[in-house]
Amino acid sequence: MFEMTGGMAPPRAPLTCLIVDDSAFMRFHLKRLMDAFDNVVAREAANGNEAVTEYARFKPDIVLMDIVMPGLGGIETVKQICEHDPAARVIMISSLSYHEKVEEALAAGARCFVAKPVTTEQLRQAIDRAFTAAA
Amino acid sequence: MRLEVVKAFRDSTGEMLQQIVGPVDDVAAMAMHPTPLAGREVTTVIAVDGEARGRVTLDMDSATAMRLAGRLLDEPPAMMTPLAESAIAELASMIIGHAISTINDQGRRVRMEPPVIGDGGLACAEVCFETLTFPVQTPFGEVRVNVMIHDLD
Repeated sequence: MFEMTGGMAPPRAPLTCLIVDDSAFMRFHLKRLMDAFDNVVAREAANGNEAVTEYARFKPDIVLMDIVMPGLGGIETVKQICEHDPAARVIMISSLSYHEKVEEALAAGARCFVAKPVTTEQLRQAIDRAFTAAA
Repeated sequence: MRLEVVKAFRDSTGEMLQQIVGPVDDVAAMAMHPTPLAGREVTTVIAVDGEARGRVTLDMDSATAMRLAGRLLDEPPAMMTPLAESAIAELASMIIGHAISTINDQGRRVRMEPPVIGDGGLACAEVCFETLTFPVQTPFGEVRVNVMIHDLD
């Protein structure tokens, strides 16, 4: 669904993305990975509360969400976002990838889960899944 | 400290460093110390809670931290910027998070807190736990993982 830079696809609306992680490095890294795709507009939030506010304001096509964050954690943030917008496409990205945590994230409303460290190809596949998975 | 907990941290240290920063020596030489070790110049601390409680630290000297941050950022930083510190803290978080995932998949319930990064003084604790240390030689210098966890059962 998403093409790497250099493709000859016709112009289309930008893919909008909200990156939520308390780590400045992870926001930098995920932004860098997203820049490998054509026509992406990314915004950032450093915690769950910021993410809820930014989501309501920005209504991004996808959200990349960390789990372990100070204050409002990623799972609770997904719940809040999905309560207001059940069609939200949230991809959880976390080093905490044990079975129960993945199930908890999906039950909260996330469309899919990627374990850190994440690669460009894993991110591309996750974005495709987020668009095709049922809300 | 139970063997499966120790093994999860040891295996995760090797696997994650290999994936993230490149080839590393085998994590073979573990050492047990009766109290926490003084941290080196750049120390990341992650608190652990649940059925096992304590802290895990990842420490290294400044030169190694600069080189590792350069690898993670794809550009050597001129100094230890907040972004470079964040890269080192995230490296620790991925190592510990991966280990905690393995421990939870084995049926134990253990949680982790976000990482805190600072100098060696961060390694000091009011409560003294025995410390299990894994030094790992990476292409960028030595990284040491220190596990200070009290098993609650």
